[in-house]
Amino acid sequence: MTAVLGSRARVRPWSRRPVPRRGRTSRTPGAFAAIYRLMLRNQASIGRVFAVMALGVGAILLGAAVGLQHTVDPVHDGAELINRYGLTILVPVVTLVFSSSTLGDLIDDRTLVYLWLRPVNRLTVAAAAAGAAMTICLPAVTVPLVICAALTGGGIALVGGTAVAAAVGVVGYCGMFVALGLRFKRALVWGLAYILLWEGYVAKASKTASRLSLRAYTRSVVSQYTGVRLDQAGLTIVAAVLVPVVVGIVFVLLTGRRLKKTAVD
Amino acid sequence: MTATAARTGAIDLGAIGATLEPRPMVEASGVSKWFGDVVAVSEVSFTLGAGVTALLGPNGAGKSTMLRLLAGLVPPDRGELRILGRDPRADIAVLRRIGLVPQQETVFDSQTAFEFVHMAGVLHGIPKPDRAAKQALALVELEHRDPRRLSTYSRGMRQRVKVAQAIVHSPRVIVLDEPLTGLDPRQRRHMTRLFHELGDLGCCVIVSSHVLDEVERFGSNVLVIAQGRLAAEGDFRAIRDLMEDRPHRLRITSDHPHQLAGHLLADGLIMGLELIDARSVVVETNDVHSFRRNVAVVAREIGARLSEVVPLDDDLDSVFRYLVGRP
Repeated sequence: MTAVLGSRARVRPWSRRPVPRRGRTSRTPGAFAAIYRLMLRNQASIGRVFAVMALGVGAILLGAAVGLQHTVDPVHDGAELINRYGLTILVPVVTLVFSSSTLGDLIDDRTLVYLWLRPVNRLTVAAAAAGAAMTICLPAVTVPLVICAALTGGGIALVGGTAVAAAVGVVGYCGMFVALGLRFKRALVWGLAYILLWEGYVAKASKTASRLSLRAYTRSVVSQYTGVRLDQAGLTIVAAVLVPVVVGIVFVLLTGRRLKKTAVD
Repeated sequence: MTATAARTGAIDLGAIGATLEPRPMVEASGVSKWFGDVVAVSEVSFTLGAGVTALLGPNGAGKSTMLRLLAGLVPPDRGELRILGRDPRADIAVLRRIGLVPQQETVFDSQTAFEFVHMAGVLHGIPKPDRAAKQALALVELEHRDPRRLSTYSRGMRQRVKVAQAIVHSPRVIVLDEPLTGLDPRQRRHMTRLFHELGDLGCCVIVSSHVLDEVERFGSNVLVIAQGRLAAEGDFRAIRDLMEDRPHRLRITSDHPHQLAGHLLADGLIMGLELIDARSVVVETNDVHSFRRNVAVVAREIGARLSEVVPLDDDLDSVFRYLVGRP
């Protein structure tokens, strides 16, 4: 019988090394980059990219339409458009589609096992997932919204406020929806329920409820930048910028923690 | 280590033998796992060392759950599992020494075979993942330069890629869930040889299958799981010998089979017989060792020529049927 290993007659020497000390995880700095690249590649499906591009083109067309109307108060109209379309639909829906699927797809097709089996800190996996989602979502929503804001004629304040609001919104929503993708089988449905029901209706019921809605923070950024009064937008600029970022980080930490405890199929 | 091995950073296979673990490499004690009301694994205890062990059981017996427990993918609800002395759930460092071929066919479809195996090497933190990935793919007879994505691979090719990612980091404990599924007969032989060689090198190789012909090729050491419980553990021939409530059946071929069987019955060496044809008879005995010692003596005494004595139920299939209570 021909030897399978013998024909190569060598085996890598680290097989003889003792088992690493308890708690030691992969020391290779390539772990984050490898997982990040994988997630990025998995996300960039043609269907998703087209859907996002369609939403982005929609924002640009709406911005152009408002700009062409030559309204009395382009800043107000522009801020309302950014609030009603950009921060209400584009930012949360796009981040939901991409973020919930970073880990959610791996669970659905049972490939998470190939990441879970590696001696890599689970937080690295969670951070790579959120990082990949942000890499796609930041340009996918910020660029069309900034163009939209510019086309409305709202000026530099609206463009700046839109860019910051979209960016902090992406950070917050990405963290939240990556966690959602790991936690729920139908993350897209749960995410839409949060966006439409909680942020759309429940958050309007009370001040406390609105504080638990990321949209209140993103629209506060636009409001603070432009001076336009928007519904549930009474937060300070510091809180409006910091809270979504903190929310994003906290959810990434929770995702790492859940990954550690999760049963993998 | 040879000079070549030292120069290339590799070692020769013979040296690996010296790394055999003195203690059990896999230890399960009183392990139970249930999903809702369904008990998947119940009070299972065993220890395994180096070599190939086949995990055997009918579909739904709890084999895959047992393997998932061993790889740390799910925590036991009761009992303790130790891989190389560590808990694979609590101590992820031990994952450096575990390789798993999961049952599911899916892999990362957007990657090539090399990227998939290379990434496994990178995540395991091995020093030269490029070289290791090429070697692992070569061991399963796949080409590392193949530019095709895994989505275009056949079932058998995916299976081989899964094996490559499981061995790229030279693990000591290798868990394989139905690893021969989808492979052609030549590839099956190749993989079986590979698993044996890994076992001979000091790895603890655990292979599950419900195809008995496959399992028999993996060797005689088995863990039999039936309805979530460990039905038997060890060499299946030894297990068969211990089944005293099941008489052994043997076929005797002789020029005077009826006369021979009559004498064996009279001497108390057999407890039943079935006439097959003019040259063959099937006998049943509770003491197979005594029977084997004396059958030739009795044949000589009566002047019968003994052509063949064939055990009919000490193969793996029979042992398995007895253990899982199948007819």
